[in-house]
Amino acid sequence: MVTLLLVVLGFFSGLLGALTGIGGGVLLTPILALHFGIPIRQAIGTSLVAVITTSAASSSVHLQRHTTDIRLGMTLELATSFGAAITAYLVGYFNRNALEGLFAGFLLYSAITIVARHGKLKLEDKSSPGPNGEFAIPPYEPKRYPLGLGASLVAGALSGLLGIGGGPIKVPVMYLFMDVPLMVATATSNFMVGVTAAASAMVYYRRGDILVEIAAPLAVGVFMGSLLGARMAPRIHTRIVMYLLVAIMLYLSGHLAVHLLKGWLA
Amino acid sequence: MSQVREPEFDRAVAMVLRIGAFSCFFVMLAGLIDGLFIAGHISRDIERLGVLLMLATPVVRVIVACFLFFREKDYKYGWISLGLLVILTLGGVFGIGEH
Repeated sequence: MVTLLLVVLGFFSGLLGALTGIGGGVLLTPILALHFGIPIRQAIGTSLVAVITTSAASSSVHLQRHTTDIRLGMTLELATSFGAAITAYLVGYFNRNALEGLFAGFLLYSAITIVARHGKLKLEDKSSPGPNGEFAIPPYEPKRYPLGLGASLVAGALSGLLGIGGGPIKVPVMYLFMDVPLMVATATSNFMVGVTAAASAMVYYRRGDILVEIAAPLAVGVFMGSLLGARMAPRIHTRIVMYLLVAIMLYLSGHLAVHLLKGWLA
Repeated sequence: MSQVREPEFDRAVAMVLRIGAFSCFFVMLAGLIDGLFIAGHISRDIERLGVLLMLATPVVRVIVACFLFFREKDYKYGWISLGLLVILTLGGVFGIGEH
């Protein structure tokens, strides 16, 4: 019964993730910790497996649309995977409250970036038509690599610490500071998540922090959800999806905060 | 731009990710079905295999990209891919013996 519930949970987080360009991990870690009673470190390790699945499934679709900048992605991956491996190793030194507090803050920040990006997407709507799934990408040259690498290091560190993809950090930095078109930034961030999460997931796996019986049903659901979502993404208007996602994130953030407060008061 | 110039490269990398994700999906599905409907303890091992396949997929993707970059004589990115492989290997090695 729990297994089926996990498949459904994975499916919806994969679908939402692919539709809005945000990894599913940001939803999965807190849901596993708060609603399935899994210790936060195992929740993080387990959600990393789902995060890799999302990345592999949806970036295979993005790659075929040629919206992924592999060279830029792999350069920044040097920083993300380094940061992720380091924090995955150090996560034992963070106590549960610090991790939950950091997570609540990150959820809040992610919700804000989603709303902000939606405004930008509307402006770009006219320049990116996609009747047959092909997109015209204006020529660009990525700028400010040191800044991009620095931000990637932070995104990777958070990924290894919280079991997330880190898209809400990488996408705005690539788009705003490195002059990469938004569609390329989103696809490239998604592409980078797989290697980043693998770097930290290996550390979690070795430590026994990946619960195989939870990860398998989640990954099965996430795979189906994110393939479906990635195919629907260019066609669907995501306003309602976006509000739904933001609502879930605010709820989880609040839930984590209440959980923390209860811990302090008790 | 690179993504327009080399559709072949994109296709090869996409293929690796697709094979990894699909094989992981079917292995894990087999594990789930086994666990739900068939008595026994083999399902955990099947699911574990699925998890390991998923962890290996990004590594294989880096190896393939590395090979393609060197074949295209794009040494800068070939070395970047090799550096990435070193980091990934260290991540795996550092975890050993940690409990």
